[in-house]
Amino acid sequence: MKTNDIIFQTVTKIVVFIIIIYSLHLFFSGHYTPGGGFIGGLMTASALVLLLLAFDIKTVVNTLQVDYLKLTATGLLIAVLTGIGSFFFNVPFLTHTFSYVQLPLLGKTSLATAVLFDLGVYLVVIGVTMTIIQTIGETE
Amino acid sequence: MAFQILLNFILGFLWMFLSNDYSSLAFAKGYFFGILILFVLRRFFQHRFYFYNVIAIIKLLYIFLVELVKSNISVLKVILSPKLNLRPGIFALETELEKEWEITILSNLITLTPGTLVLEVSEDNKTLYIHAMDIDDVEQAKLDIKNTFEKAIKEVSR
Repeated sequence: MKTNDIIFQTVTKIVVFIIIIYSLHLFFSGHYTPGGGFIGGLMTASALVLLLLAFDIKTVVNTLQVDYLKLTATGLLIAVLTGIGSFFFNVPFLTHTFSYVQLPLLGKTSLATAVLFDLGVYLVVIGVTMTIIQTIGETE
Repeated sequence: MAFQILLNFILGFLWMFLSNDYSSLAFAKGYFFGILILFVLRRFFQHRFYFYNVIAIIKLLYIFLVELVKSNISVLKVILSPKLNLRPGIFALETELEKEWEITILSNLITLTPGTLVLEVSEDNKTLYIHAMDIDDVEQAKLDIKNTFEKAIKEVSR
């Protein structure tokens, strides 16, 4: 008995974009308001899980073509490199700094190196979550 | 339709650049004049003037809200009545809508108005199977859905 998933799939096609933009907002709001890399990564992973629920695993893998193990490795590398970068300025490991920069369009913006560390966390969380879920889903 | 909306946005931006005022108010002014221009030149497009569709969407929302209030009151009557003389049942509704989003919106509207509930869409997307809380008259229920929701959705996607 194969059911017709037309309503679920149509709603998913719209809702996924809203979830992803919300996860990006959470990621960038982590410095001054609640949010950050971890919850943003989980949110993005949940959007991908919704895709997996609405469509087949094969369809999603062929559409995205992301190797989640490499994504995890990339995230870890970024996080470690932000720590190593502090050695060039003769300060302890993982010392973060921020400065106010005049950008052409945005005006006075505070750029913090902690964002790069958070990006690493974000990628690791997406990679690990999706690896776990896809590995469990593919084993018969 | 999408092309007309894009053109209207470009006209709004052009108004901002011409008047050298980069505020949302200037954009709104330009957008309003763009609507007027598109209305005057509406015969040049393949689709009809897109603001008719916007009005149709507002009408659909209005119909939905009115139906929601009315049917919730009817369900409240059923709950508070001392005797349950309901005749639940399932009937099939042949729909004339074809696109995926139209069927989705129709199903959600039927489900959100209490008393009726979409159980299943057939494989060829032509039949909706609907569970009704109280079937007095199947043909009457079908006609109600067709006359209100289907007509409004067709009006939107014309």
